[in-house]
Amino acid sequence: MKKLVISILLILFAISIYGTTLKIWAMGEEAKTLPVIIQEFEKENPGVKVEIQALPWSNAFEKLLTGVAGRQLPDVIQMGTTWMPSFSAMGAFQDLGAYIKNSEIISEEKFFPGSWSTCVYRGKVYGIPWYVDTRVLFYRTDLLAEVGYTEAPRNWDELYDAAKKLAERPEMYGLTFQTNEIQEFIPFVWQNGATVIDENNKPGVDTPEFMEALDYFARFFEEDIVPKAGSGNIFQDFASGFVPMFFTGPWMVSMIHEQTPQIDGKWAVALMPEKITRTSFMGGSNWVISKTSKNKELAWKFLEFMSRPETQFQWYQLLKALPAVKEVWNYKELKSDPFTSVFGEQLKDAKATPNIAEWEKIESIVESVLEKRVLGKITTDEAIKEMTQKISKVLK
Amino acid sequence: MKTRLSAILIFLGPALFIMTVFIIIPIVLSLLISVTDFNVYAIFDWKNAEFVGFKNFIDLFSDVIFWKALFNTFYALVVALPLTIIFSLLFALLLNRSATHFKSFFRLSLYLPSITNTVAIAVVWAWLLNPRYGLLNWFLGLFGIAGQNWLSDPKWAMPSIIALVVWKAIGPNMLLFLAGLQNIPDFLYEAAELDGANRWKQFLHVTVPSLRPQLLFVSVMLVIGYLQLFEEPYMLTKGGPLNSTISIVLYLYRQGFYQFNFGYASAVAVVLFGIILTLTAIQMRLRKYQE
Repeated sequence: MKKLVISILLILFAISIYGTTLKIWAMGEEAKTLPVIIQEFEKENPGVKVEIQALPWSNAFEKLLTGVAGRQLPDVIQMGTTWMPSFSAMGAFQDLGAYIKNSEIISEEKFFPGSWSTCVYRGKVYGIPWYVDTRVLFYRTDLLAEVGYTEAPRNWDELYDAAKKLAERPEMYGLTFQTNEIQEFIPFVWQNGATVIDENNKPGVDTPEFMEALDYFARFFEEDIVPKAGSGNIFQDFASGFVPMFFTGPWMVSMIHEQTPQIDGKWAVALMPEKITRTSFMGGSNWVISKTSKNKELAWKFLEFMSRPETQFQWYQLLKALPAVKEVWNYKELKSDPFTSVFGEQLKDAKATPNIAEWEKIESIVESVLEKRVLGKITTDEAIKEMTQKISKVLK
Repeated sequence: MKTRLSAILIFLGPALFIMTVFIIIPIVLSLLISVTDFNVYAIFDWKNAEFVGFKNFIDLFSDVIFWKALFNTFYALVVALPLTIIFSLLFALLLNRSATHFKSFFRLSLYLPSITNTVAIAVVWAWLLNPRYGLLNWFLGLFGIAGQNWLSDPKWAMPSIIALVVWKAIGPNMLLFLAGLQNIPDFLYEAAELDGANRWKQFLHVTVPSLRPQLLFVSVMLVIGYLQLFEEPYMLTKGGPLNSTISIVLYLYRQGFYQFNFGYASAVAVVLFGIILTLTAIQMRLRKYQE
């Protein structure tokens, strides 16, 4: 009897060693929902066990950093697109060039260009887009109708005009911006055809177009159209009409439905206001394979699995995350959804921030100068001078 | 002799091992890193870090935000330290009075903030201080006082953080004072009373001198703690607005974990270490001198 138990244990032990385990780190809701999809992958690859570790978004960044420093990364990792440049620069990810060349499922043209660009660092591809998101205008249809807008403001002038009129209501505002969040500001720069750093990696802020965008953004603060203290609770403020407009991403759609059902039907989403273009910010998540992984072939198989249109569509149905694979956007379920379709339209004109290791530093420079400018501590000229000087120093 | 040594090692070994791995090695490492340009390229491969001598320290001197952080940290320390001591001592005295009712209830309520998670506290305080829905502005409104944008006004952000920090620190220090108060023998007060000393004189000449060890301990620990101010501004303001609440540790964190300037961040840590060491040494000296 004892022998039997021991031999069974030994066999179990042997199986557990020889059956391959694919280790994945994923964040937030994604990690909680992934197991549903992964069953299919395990079925297709007998003997493979997928192990998902969930990292909360709030401390994922540090966890990843520690993982890199200690060379303790799993096989596959979900990466926020804005983290890609820093982590690619560290050299912790596998260059996927060779895998992509031999793949039938994954190729550059199947994904949104803005999303694909977040995976490319110094000419090499280090990740595969998983899902995307982009910012659009969320607005209260009823309140805008009261000031004469039966449709969303279409361009810069209309946005300003509508917001100004809405801010004339006592103790109410026109819209809300965060002063220290580049993702809210940079779309206006792009919409005016300007950049923060140009294609030669030189500061591009010293242009009339950039200044115009900065002044336009700051005017909302100067004329008290935007609450300087920000919004205490965006759901309440949106429902009470305190801030009838704001710019945010797809994750807010279901959250507003859940938190403030009383305004269902009284709000909608619309494309970014147009200046020269109506460019928005593009974010989302990519998959990467760690350089230290021992199961790279299997990891690549997983990335291919996640990039299939049917998997991407299933993922859309589960979490309403926007598919990174363009083909899925032809499905009627996406086209007919009043919210998703707007995001789909916006994705055609959405950009990611430059994929250079110095971006984090440039971002914090722009954010701190922007804050000083909108709070009226410095003039536009001073702001441009400070940004140019500090960004040049970082890029030197 | 040999057996004694091995016995010592057995008893001290685990503690020494943990100290070495988690405290001594990191301190030495950060000293080493502070003289390198350890950055984003060196995290995965240490060979990419280069020795730069004291460049990081020299750069610190001309770094406006570092000076701002230094100023903010000392501002918080200078205001919060006396407030914390006064309030903890006051509450300890009140709790020590034999006439006070519901002692354990008050003791618990005053102690709770210090054991509650700062993240949870920060969320609640953000609500209390919210300019539109906040309890504080509503309360001030009852007296016709105009509320403020507490956390988004550069003037008020730091005082708001200080209020939270003091409120959190009262509990444990109050307990220390309470323990000290209960150790003061009654006959000292009786003697003082016979000599005609009033309540205030008794406090000044009996209570305060008897509490000297607690006062020393509390002020040393508070100085060390307040110089490392981090969680509260990190949770409530992220150092803003306009860097009005950035503290040294928060600046270090930003440099290290957002911008990957680990060499530079380590230099900040070394400077902070030096400041804390100096201040603590001065405090110890002062007390010794007084005695």
